Amino acid sequence: MNTYSSELLLDVNNIVVTFEGADKPAIQDVSFQLHRDEVLGIVGETGAGKSVLARSLLNLLPEGGQVKGGDIQFRGRSITTMTKEEQRRMRGGDIALIGTNAKSLLDPVQTIGSQISRVLRAHRDVSRRDAWDQAVELLSNVGIVDPEKRAKAYPHQLSGGMAQRVVIAMAMITDPDVILADDATLGLDATVQLQVLDLLIGRCRSSGKAAILITHDLGIVAHYCDRVAIMRDGSIVEIKPVSDFLVGPEAPYSVGLLEAARSRPVPIVDKKKSGSKSSAVNLTKEAPLLQVKNLFKLFPISGTDQVVRAIDDFSFEIRRGETMALVGESGSGKTTVGQCLVRLLSLTSGSILFDGQDITAMKEGQFRDFRRRIQMVFQEPYVALNPRWCVADLIAEPLQLMPAMTRAEKLKKVHELLGLVQLPTSLAGAYPHELTAGEQKRIGIARALATNPDFVVFDEPTTALDIRVRSQIIDLVRDLQERMGLSALFITHDLNSVRSLSHYVSVMQHGKLVERGETENIFEYPKQDYTKMLLDAELPIEQKEFFVPKPQHVGDLT
Amino acid sequence: MVNFMREVLRRPSAVFGVSLLILQIVAIIFAPYLAPYSPVEADALRSLLPPSGEHWFGTDVSGMDVYSRVIYATRINLLISISAVAVAFVIGVPIGIVTGFYRGYLSSLVMRIFDFIQSFPVFVLGMALVSVMGQEIWNVAIVLAVLFMPIFARLIRAETLSLRDRPFVAAARCSGATDISLMFRHVLPNALSPAIVQVSISIGMAILLTAGLSFIGAGVRMPVAEWGLMVSSGAEQMILGVWWVALFPGLAIVISVMSFALLGDAIKELSDPTMRARR
Repeated sequence: MNTYSSELLLDVNNIVVTFEGADKPAIQDVSFQLHRDEVLGIVGETGAGKSVLARSLLNLLPEGGQVKGGDIQFRGRSITTMTKEEQRRMRGGDIALIGTNAKSLLDPVQTIGSQISRVLRAHRDVSRRDAWDQAVELLSNVGIVDPEKRAKAYPHQLSGGMAQRVVIAMAMITDPDVILADDATLGLDATVQLQVLDLLIGRCRSSGKAAILITHDLGIVAHYCDRVAIMRDGSIVEIKPVSDFLVGPEAPYSVGLLEAARSRPVPIVDKKKSGSKSSAVNLTKEAPLLQVKNLFKLFPISGTDQVVRAIDDFSFEIRRGETMALVGESGSGKTTVGQCLVRLLSLTSGSILFDGQDITAMKEGQFRDFRRRIQMVFQEPYVALNPRWCVADLIAEPLQLMPAMTRAEKLKKVHELLGLVQLPTSLAGAYPHELTAGEQKRIGIARALATNPDFVVFDEPTTALDIRVRSQIIDLVRDLQERMGLSALFITHDLNSVRSLSHYVSVMQHGKLVERGETENIFEYPKQDYTKMLLDAELPIEQKEFFVPKPQHVGDLT
Repeated sequence: MVNFMREVLRRPSAVFGVSLLILQIVAIIFAPYLAPYSPVEADALRSLLPPSGEHWFGTDVSGMDVYSRVIYATRINLLISISAVAVAFVIGVPIGIVTGFYRGYLSSLVMRIFDFIQSFPVFVLGMALVSVMGQEIWNVAIVLAVLFMPIFARLIRAETLSLRDRPFVAAARCSGATDISLMFRHVLPNALSPAIVQVSISIGMAILLTAGLSFIGAGVRMPVAEWGLMVSSGAEQMILGVWWVALFPGLAIVISVMSFALLGDAIKELSDPTMRARR
């Protein structure tokens, strides 16, 4: 798709980056070229060296880092031989970096307008007033409503998505030739991510700029990039046009990565199968395991008589062996629902019937029996594990809900659970900070399963994980659903995983139910606009494949 | 623990602090062997002798050997300070946890009582309390414990307030942990490190306060060998050119306070999470 006839902007030749005290280089022999009018995606897992690579392009490595070998040329000039002043002018002026977590990148005591115009004035000779006007204009171009007023706002007054737009505006105001976006949309809602990336790449395309998108999301690459470079352990294992990559990755590592990013078919334990024990007729009439009726949760806003309606008349039911997904953007009240189910929050009104009994009215002592049966897997694995407890103690903790066990029995159970989540028993003595994100997530799952619960709330089980780890967790949960006949509520904004994990979907917005139905139905025939919007924001890697006949993946196209 | 000691030894100021502390521990344990004379035996004939081979630090107005008294006083001063801080820690930490964990009227009431204690200058309140209770060694220790307890309670409470809303506490609650277990097994281990730093700093402060109270006559009484008391008795003769009676116990106070301050700094640096990560 790219003919490379256009101007060569960046030419990176065999660069090696080392850090003081590290035994091997962070970047090993990386070479690539970037032409005008091109969007290059750099994909890799945590620790692959993506961010270090981006920083070395600006010669802005963190403390202790150094470009040891190779050469980086920007428009034919080697970056390392530039004077300090030339480097300063290049950074932000010719090559702009957009980082992750925009809120922390903005100066909290400066208005966003002045921050943006300051960037312009650092690179171009413009008056304060002109710079401000340009900043305001750019803010409106990046989709910020009421830019004159917003320019006078401080970063804490912005939402995450808006802050990210501001950072993008900051990078674009000097009209640089190359934009480096280092995980610029990490942690944003899919709908916001789509808007932000559409905007960024749209601007690049229309003005003939080049961009490098650093990400761990192959969906982003499939939708926005011309070429993709797969990084692992500081080297590029494969670099080729995206369309070629999606149909024929060469390196075994990239094959694995691509495979991991695909969604799985709908879970095998559907209601018919789990019902095979009892009669099918009986099943439909069987009382649901969990019945939530007219749930309300209002948070009063302190100092006023107004309330936040976190959950606003929400009802659903889940039968044995079924999994329902609760999807929606951040702030839609999904997690609040989960927390009400395990009674971490009390409801304002409504009822929750578990196995026919109302758990909302129970005293804590009475509810203790149900704690064993209703468990929750928490969102961020690291913060949900006590940093001072070792793995064995963490996993054994829920066993206090079971009949008393001896020390040896507990240890046996811990080993059994570690096996269940496919972790070696040697991890029993480890502490949370010694584990990888994937291992932490598994420990969280093992904890929830320790008491053989009937029902598990999974809160964002796949968020913020690397591609392969994410797919491993999805496979693990699928395996558990099948083996243990778990009923589950699956709270997420990762639609791709919903397809792989749940039978039913409820879409939630502002605490209200928007739409509910069987997973396939909702994905295929969404009725509500909001659902359509959510689905449109999804960036599956399969969509590009649509144009390439490949029969074995037709099932994934939905 | 081994790692911890290794980290300590890497810092010159910490090494200095630890060696001063060891010096004091040696003085406490081997006082009878190190001190040539009894610390409380007066001898009117040997009053105010300057330092010599016989009396290294000279003698005071009642003819007691200053060197022996300085050595023996280490026992009294450290005993008072360490036991006072230990009591303050043992009582203050649970109060801090409980008042941080349950934010109710009772919890506010306890904090207001602490406000009341802390609103007085420590020294003035200490003076008043000791004179009311009687100038005994243990009374000084009890008063110091009362004065230091709010410090620990507040520190732990502040940590608890931020820890109690952390997801791991919610997760433990879902795992059936009771409130007691949440407080003492989950929150406490994570809240403890600033309090442990404070222990060392507080011991230094307690030594200074003990000596200060005795100096103005509101602490222990003669003939107990106590540094502040010795400085005070020496101060009367200072004008006559008798410098040794006040100087040596004064130096002992400096050394003792400094050793705990340096140790506190070292612990503070080591308990910094970024430092821990580097290890």
